[in-house]
Amino acid sequence: MSSITLKGVEKHYGSTQVLFDCNLEIRDHEFMVIVGPSGSGKTTMLRIVAGLESVTGGEVYFGDRIVNNVDVGDRDVAMVFQNYGLYPHMSVYENMAFGLRRRKLPKPEIDRRVRDAAGMLGISEMLKRRPKQLSGGQRQRVALGRAIVRDPEVFLLDEPLSNLDAHLRVQMRAEILRVHRAVTATAVYVTHDQTEALTMGDRIVVMHEGRVQQVGPPEEPYDRPVNRFVAGFIGTPAMGFLECTLSREGDRAHVEGPGVRIELPPEAAAAVPLPGGSKVVAGVRPEHMDIVPAASVGQDVRSYVTGVVEVVEPLGSEQYVLVDVSGAKLTARTKRDSSIRPDQKVAFAVDGSVVHLFDTETEKAFL
Amino acid sequence: MTAVAPRLDTPDAPVSVPISTRLRRKPWKVAVVAVIVTAGLFWSLAPIYWMVTTSLKNPLEVTRLNPTLYPHALTGQNYGELFGQTLPFSSFLENSVVTSLVAAVIAVAISAFAGYSLSRGQWRLRGFTGQIILATRILPLVVLVGPLYLIFLKTHLLNTYYGLILGYTSFALPFGAWMMKGFIDAVPREIEEAARVDGYGRIGILFRVVLPLTLPGLFTTGAFVFMDAWNNLLYPLTLIDSLKMQTLPPGLLTSFTGQFKTDWGGMMAAACLTTIPLMAAFFAIQRYMVRGLTAGALAGQ
Repeated sequence: MSSITLKGVEKHYGSTQVLFDCNLEIRDHEFMVIVGPSGSGKTTMLRIVAGLESVTGGEVYFGDRIVNNVDVGDRDVAMVFQNYGLYPHMSVYENMAFGLRRRKLPKPEIDRRVRDAAGMLGISEMLKRRPKQLSGGQRQRVALGRAIVRDPEVFLLDEPLSNLDAHLRVQMRAEILRVHRAVTATAVYVTHDQTEALTMGDRIVVMHEGRVQQVGPPEEPYDRPVNRFVAGFIGTPAMGFLECTLSREGDRAHVEGPGVRIELPPEAAAAVPLPGGSKVVAGVRPEHMDIVPAASVGQDVRSYVTGVVEVVEPLGSEQYVLVDVSGAKLTARTKRDSSIRPDQKVAFAVDGSVVHLFDTETEKAFL
Repeated sequence: MTAVAPRLDTPDAPVSVPISTRLRRKPWKVAVVAVIVTAGLFWSLAPIYWMVTTSLKNPLEVTRLNPTLYPHALTGQNYGELFGQTLPFSSFLENSVVTSLVAAVIAVAISAFAGYSLSRGQWRLRGFTGQIILATRILPLVVLVGPLYLIFLKTHLLNTYYGLILGYTSFALPFGAWMMKGFIDAVPREIEEAARVDGYGRIGILFRVVLPLTLPGLFTTGAFVFMDAWNNLLYPLTLIDSLKMQTLPPGLLTSFTGQFKTDWGGMMAAACLTTIPLMAAFFAIQRYMVRGLTAGALAGQ
């Protein structure tokens, strides 16, 4: 088994740089999820770990061994591709045995491993079929099977669920985690779907524009995002951002702007190293906004946001309310309330202790 | 009012209409299409009909002042004479089969490697090299034949199978390489990468993954080379001067035309037999032909 370390990894394609000084340590047996929007460099990073791409700068370690110049076939990695990458001219059995034959394993051993993996994934009945005779979910299982029969040190998965429907995706998420527990290899999983990232990863890496933004347990980027990008990317619907001014009165502080006033708890006020009058960006999550009567604003409710409703999206027991707050767009997640309609003025109470504050220039988080 | 997303399954969504139904609505269009197709068929099939019927006529009927549309006295005499003692027709046939087949096999083997390198290789000037290879195809056969004759003269390859096969293969390679490149481009890279992860090297991937997936391409390329070589008149006419070593095209041209008489019946019988392998090759690959040409056309994308 093996840990993976990336030290100062950079990647250029001609004059275009796609990875910038990426540092990352993936522990032995860990299930690490790399998440980010399209073009963030997450797949490139995975391909570098696999050995399918070379680095332009920096080092990749498996354990304490540098593998920069080790060919993909000699790295003892197995990979599940986005479009499965099954060999169309081979049966399911041959697909799974292909890598083992290359390693010249005895025939009975190959047969045992293929049948064990097929049993684990529920595809024993399909071993003689060709990939084109299988459904999407079955193909994905074969791709997983092909990876686990190898019993690799490192298990790489490149958006393996993106071609499946929503129901199957949930099912396969559990399946992959079950397989990971069984094979106990170090796993690196790439996805653009934050639900997958938050539900599957032991830790997650958030990437943006070729840079590692934050690494930590799944709840960390949600609770304590290090910058405005992470705050906006993790969480559905996304966090809303308000341009505000910081005001200080003794050891108390609040931020305010057009239609906004949020009081900060003393420890938060102390954490922001800026004087009163400074500009800051306040981030409010949709689930931290509660509808209140407009009359209570400024009286009983000391931290609030007021705006005009643009769209209401009913979602069964709850609804998303898109609000225009003096030009800034905020989404609130509230209980189903048919009295809220577009063009209506609304007020929301905001809990100041869960508001995030960011530097307007560096976009780094103060809280 | 609550804003909701518009429904996508609107009842006025466009419904595709089968071509046959659309044509049925306009009878004059059907008539125009029928006339064009009939004219095209007549244009293509009439010479073949004439070739087949002439081969079955006796010498007197062939040279009648008022030609007959079909053989009044059916005869197989022309075919019998082809394999008689006077004409080395079976040698022509054998020479054509051997040289065309061997050239096709060699050209396909080299084209597969060249196409793989042009498609997947990561080397400098790959694109430029590909263009240069294709550009050699622009040169007409007749321009190449002079230098080729001199080279073969010096290397003692005139009047040999080797020379002819070398000539056919070298002429077919640029097109073959590009055709294979087109087919290989169509193989998803993920499949190759999966094989790399499974531990296979370039050659292993080529033989175990890429070539099995491009079998139609190999057959199509082979058939093209075979047809090119089979129909080649200029090379054997120039590079071969012994009658025994001639292939079918020059053989037919020189054996049936004399100073005072042309044996049309015999020539047509020989032409019929010459056409059969070509037609067999064509029908064997016609399913892949369009796909092969399209793959080549999309190679740059």
